[in-house]
Amino acid sequence: MPASSDADSLLIERIRRGDGEAWNDLITRYEGRLLAFVESRLGRRGPSEDIVQEAFLGFLNSLPNYDGKRPLESYLFSICAYKLTDHLRREGRRPAVPLSAGSDSTGDWQLQGSARPASSIVRSGERKELEEKAVMEALCDQIERWRERGEWTKLMCAELLFVRGWANKEVAEELEISEQQVANYKFDFIARLRTLVRDQELSQEVFPELYEEEANK
Amino acid sequence: MTLNVAKGHCVIGVWSLVVSPMSRRLTNADLEAYLDEALSAEEMALIEQEVRARPELLKRLAAIHGRRDAGVHSVGEIWRRQRLSCPSREHLGSYLLGAIDENHMVYIEFHLKTIGCRYCNSNLGDLRRQQEETVEVIESRRTKYFQSTAGHLRRKS
Repeated sequence: MPASSDADSLLIERIRRGDGEAWNDLITRYEGRLLAFVESRLGRRGPSEDIVQEAFLGFLNSLPNYDGKRPLESYLFSICAYKLTDHLRREGRRPAVPLSAGSDSTGDWQLQGSARPASSIVRSGERKELEEKAVMEALCDQIERWRERGEWTKLMCAELLFVRGWANKEVAEELEISEQQVANYKFDFIARLRTLVRDQELSQEVFPELYEEEANK
Repeated sequence: MTLNVAKGHCVIGVWSLVVSPMSRRLTNADLEAYLDEALSAEEMALIEQEVRARPELLKRLAAIHGRRDAGVHSVGEIWRRQRLSCPSREHLGSYLLGAIDENHMVYIEFHLKTIGCRYCNSNLGDLRRQQEETVEVIESRRTKYFQSTAGHLRRKS
């Protein structure tokens, strides 16, 4: 799902100019899916509608900062998620999470071995965005290639491994393929991403999972 | 920690949490998605329950915050945040109607149910509800949203 569509960009431009009809169009287009998102969690229509309403207000407040890099739908979902989380915390349903794991603000995510901790690297927000964009484009290309070739099993395999974090064995069982096949798909996928990191001269240290096996040797 | 949802009991074990009868551990990817309110409502509720029962899980969640603050990327986070494999709303509509080729259908089913994509399930829920709700109910809700926010339109943007 790449950046905002042209239709969304035009809609945003009209809303920025204060066009009420455009605002109404945005509400009409998106309120149903946002309500379903919230209601699936709260199970109550009234408070769910209130949260969606807050999300729309939040969107208007944040509009000067919205640069269109994220698709409009994803942006609206993220505002809604924020409002919902806030509501659940106030209700006492969602425990507050501390901002760091202890006195060492890096927690326990750091790479094993000799790699320098990424927290010691001074990196700008722009740099982080550039890294994410490069990986996103590579992933998009790969996913599109799998789709075009009808290689749905490879797509499902990578999604379970990386999006859900399942182990090779679990993925093999779920997809009814061998563990060796999962390992091969994973190896190829990681190799492509490593090539991208190298070619784009991105720092290996900020993509630790691509180098985990090397670090554990 | 193992949580057997089907039987509704907890068994103290290693650090992992199993959230389904399929006996799977709670992964860091699950916790990342939990922080972003991106898991299915059932999984979100289960993790919340576990975090309340086992404060040590807060350390793992805090470590994710620390990693994010330090700018360390996770492929899964980028994939999920950018919704790289989410079917389009049009494809979800075709899925509802059964008007899509079989292999694609299998993938969409997998994405909705096994991955449990909250955003796609919300879109699907909305498409289903549009068939069930009356026009009056939908219009009344949209009017309420518009009237309560339109006053902020020019001032804020």
